[in-house]
Amino acid sequence: MSEIKTEVLVIGGGVLGTAIARELSRYKVDVTLVEKEADVSWGSTKANMCIVCQGADALEFRKEYRRSKLVWESIPMMEPLCRELDVPFKRIGELTIIRNNDEMTKFQKLKMRAESVGITTHQFIDRETLHRMEPNIAKDAIGALYDPTIAITDPVRLTIALAENAKQNGGNLITEAEVQDIARNADGFEVKTSQGNISCEFIINAAGMLVDKVAAMVNADDFVVFPIRGYVAILDKKVGEVVSHEVHARPEAPGESNIITPSVYGNVLLGTPMKLARRGDYATTQEMTDVTLRNAHQLVPDISGKDIINSFAGFLMFRNWELGWHECVVSASRNVPRFINVSIGYPGVSAAPATAKEVVGLLSQEGLKLDENPKFNPYRKEITDFSELSDEEKTELIAKDANYGHVVCRCETVTEGEVVEAIRRGATTLDGVKFRTRAGMGRCQGGFCSPRVTGILARELGIGEEEVTKKGGKSRHLLYKSKALLQGRE
Amino acid sequence: MAEERIICIGCPLGCLVTITIGDKGKVADISGYQCKQGQKYVLEEYKNPARILTATVLTQNSSQPLLSVRTAAPLLKTKLTEGMMVLAKTRAKPPIKLGDVIISNLLGTGVDLVATNDLAD
Amino acid sequence: MLQDVDVAVIGSGPAGMAAAIKAKEAGAENVVIMERAEQLGGLLHQCIHNGFGLLYFKEDLTGPEYAHRFIEKVMDAKVKMLLNTMVTGIAPDRKVTAVSSQEGYTTFRPKAIVLAMGCREKTRGALNIPGTRPAGIFTAGTAQRFVNVEGFIPGEKIVILGSGDIGMIMARRLTLEGAEVKVVVEILPYVGGLIRNEVQCLHDFNIPLLLEHTVTHIHGEKRVEAVTVARVDRNKNPIAGTERQIECDSLLLSVGLIPENELSLMAGVELDPVTGGPIVDETRQTNVPGIFAGGNVVHVHDLVDNVSWESELAGQSAASFVTERKKAAGRRVTLKPGRNIRYIVPHTISGEREVTLYMRVNDLEEGVRLKVGGIMSKALRVVKPSEMLKIELSSAQLGKLEEGTTEIVVDCEKRGE
Repeated sequence: MSEIKTEVLVIGGGVLGTAIARELSRYKVDVTLVEKEADVSWGSTKANMCIVCQGADALEFRKEYRRSKLVWESIPMMEPLCRELDVPFKRIGELTIIRNNDEMTKFQKLKMRAESVGITTHQFIDRETLHRMEPNIAKDAIGALYDPTIAITDPVRLTIALAENAKQNGGNLITEAEVQDIARNADGFEVKTSQGNISCEFIINAAGMLVDKVAAMVNADDFVVFPIRGYVAILDKKVGEVVSHEVHARPEAPGESNIITPSVYGNVLLGTPMKLARRGDYATTQEMTDVTLRNAHQLVPDISGKDIINSFAGFLMFRNWELGWHECVVSASRNVPRFINVSIGYPGVSAAPATAKEVVGLLSQEGLKLDENPKFNPYRKEITDFSELSDEEKTELIAKDANYGHVVCRCETVTEGEVVEAIRRGATTLDGVKFRTRAGMGRCQGGFCSPRVTGILARELGIGEEEVTKKGGKSRHLLYKSKALLQGRE
Repeated sequence: MAEERIICIGCPLGCLVTITIGDKGKVADISGYQCKQGQKYVLEEYKNPARILTATVLTQNSSQPLLSVRTAAPLLKTKLTEGMMVLAKTRAKPPIKLGDVIISNLLGTGVDLVATNDLAD
Repeated sequence: MLQDVDVAVIGSGPAGMAAAIKAKEAGAENVVIMERAEQLGGLLHQCIHNGFGLLYFKEDLTGPEYAHRFIEKVMDAKVKMLLNTMVTGIAPDRKVTAVSSQEGYTTFRPKAIVLAMGCREKTRGALNIPGTRPAGIFTAGTAQRFVNVEGFIPGEKIVILGSGDIGMIMARRLTLEGAEVKVVVEILPYVGGLIRNEVQCLHDFNIPLLLEHTVTHIHGEKRVEAVTVARVDRNKNPIAGTERQIECDSLLLSVGLIPENELSLMAGVELDPVTGGPIVDETRQTNVPGIFAGGNVVHVHDLVDNVSWESELAGQSAASFVTERKKAAGRRVTLKPGRNIRYIVPHTISGEREVTLYMRVNDLEEGVRLKVGGIMSKALRVVKPSEMLKIELSSAQLGKLEEGTTEIVVDCEKRGE
């Protein structure tokens, strides 16, 4: 791509950027989304606890905060959105564990404050009911504050689906395009990316961890954000029944969350205290695991480190970290017209639906003409999950396409047909295939499937296997063809 | 007199055996072994430290990218690296049957390189 | 092909092939092998090194050569094969479901099953090694497949964690293919695999071995750039202050094999948490009647020869089960691991006929005496957790068992104690 002209440029292919692009595709607006990685959703969107419909659990009920409004408005929007986009959504409910009378008092206040803003879903449950709902909870729990609203999804699938639906409805998506510079001109902006220049009239800055850096390129940075890093450990599906709700203990220090939640795929996720960290430092440490396990044991003593199959770190951008609460940045820049900064911090995935609508409203205020797109189709179908089909459906599918009879991921029962479909829908890397099909997410962590998926990627993309990458850029999986090192010696 | 230390690989004990070499490179003394088989192995290893080379060669006109191969007899271990350079230039063309000679008289040692698998088109 | 199957064998590696051949020889008519790859032989095809068959054939063969011998026997025995077929489920009533491009989705109920699925490798995720998640981290077996079958070298500067046989063999293999193996890191104070491999894979190529160390951090965003290694204490915990960084572009993990028993669990087979495989009697039958198991799926072996022998037993027993020549359930004597014994397979014996016991110790010890109840004892110079012990009990020795014995304890005692 050398020169592109578009109306609205969305910078950042996370859940917010793609939700905004999709929302804009409801209108006859020419929208282009640029993402610096080889695929969408690889920033904060893929590194969190996957919990949505949050907001009612917020200790801070600052009615006047835009963030609160966006979070609460999103609560009823998430399930219909997931259904439209055919992504997983499971209403599991949340139990905030009460361990003593002080906590009881604190949570009574929380419930009252929630009610004062119209959230009436909280219920107190006693010790007996709690232990019936969650038999593995620590015996010293005296009760819980139960919110049945909380749900889980797969934020990566959601983002991929939003991107696909945006494209379906006329939006443009360019990956591996990193924004390097932005200049203002008479018609709007001239944006220099690693894949060429884009001229546009409006910019949505949803660049996640780099939201302030991108804004600074054009002096639109009238806010400050701090990188806060959390850690998540994934437990084997075989202990997937250890909890059936999101279980949560309210720690003393702000942001020190102590969460155990099921995932939509039957794993269990453990979440840990978030801390100020160096931007982009994704390295996990033994201490993170130790703290997470220690915290998890307080809630569910049976959880064992032996069941961890993987773990990762993730970032959120917060505004007023020390104060324990914060406002989001969803506003047109004070300095630069037609430049809208979008950064939620926590809970970004939860707030995406209403934020997308809010941003479209802001664009309209900035002068964007919104004529409805009569061809807009909100529905998008997921890649067929072979493992979930009935016997007859499986037979039928294999008869139609023999690739569905070739199982390449034994742990998650993923077939070649699904891998090929993932590649057709935009996966160009091993991780891209993994996030669309789950091949590589099971117990063997790609040990069996990676040679096969590498071969399929090479074939479908018309490249050598040694050119296949794990996650784009310099992450080639296999560095040399056989004998290349020996031949290089001569 | 020079000394050479060789680890016996006959059993998990892995005895460290010391060979003392006298005039004209003859073995003057040997100590540290705990069984006859160990003594025998170490003497043989000293005189003739040879290894079976197992590796792969690239193929041509085959859907299989590689053919697994071995030397039919042990090679002096100092020849292994040189041998690999020869293998790097070798291409196996189907049809090949397990046992077929791929390179005869590798590096003039009298040892053949043979296929350890079949190779089809 | 799937009508009236007598014995279905899941997997066609050394275990599956041996079981299927023996099942046919023992009188089962309709024997089918279910194999997910395009060819028989399992992992033997990627094990291009020698050392296979020293006991079984009294020859020094490479993996593919060993496979070839059995593949020929499978063909000669007219065992049926379903290749490119993934078994996706086994129910407690032995109903098997499988998927293949050719046959589509199939279900059938064989009269007997032999589980021969082998094992998988322990991963970085399971070890939870701190650091980043770059490309360039491979388990040794997966790397072996790329190098020996697919035709790719994972990287040029390699660190290997784990000095088990697979790790050491890959150290040699990668060095021969032109890569630089910078170090093999081992958490224990001694090498994990055979001395033969330490000498012929590491010493021969001057590859450094760091004992009592482990990898504590992986560096690199897109691709591995370095690892941090540190010394560990007796409890395998890293010692602060001993860390140093080693530049590399690949990390190979040879840190443990786990029997692959997903299907066994679906079938209701009871597993031994120590071996990770099914609890079996001397015929290799599991707790589910008609379901047998052999090879690495039961417990991880060192020698493929023992895999073949054990699986022949499973295949023969499966055939007997079908032809109903099985003897009435006799006495059941449980074998109990005693001092310094980690596990014993089989878990129970009849005590009525000669039997071979396979076992592993917990700790390395020199100058020991293995005692099987009061009926047999054997002096051993050294025992190591990574070298499986094989003990034959004769009918005469078993005849010494007291009437009504239900348990035999096996101890590994220090001699001179």
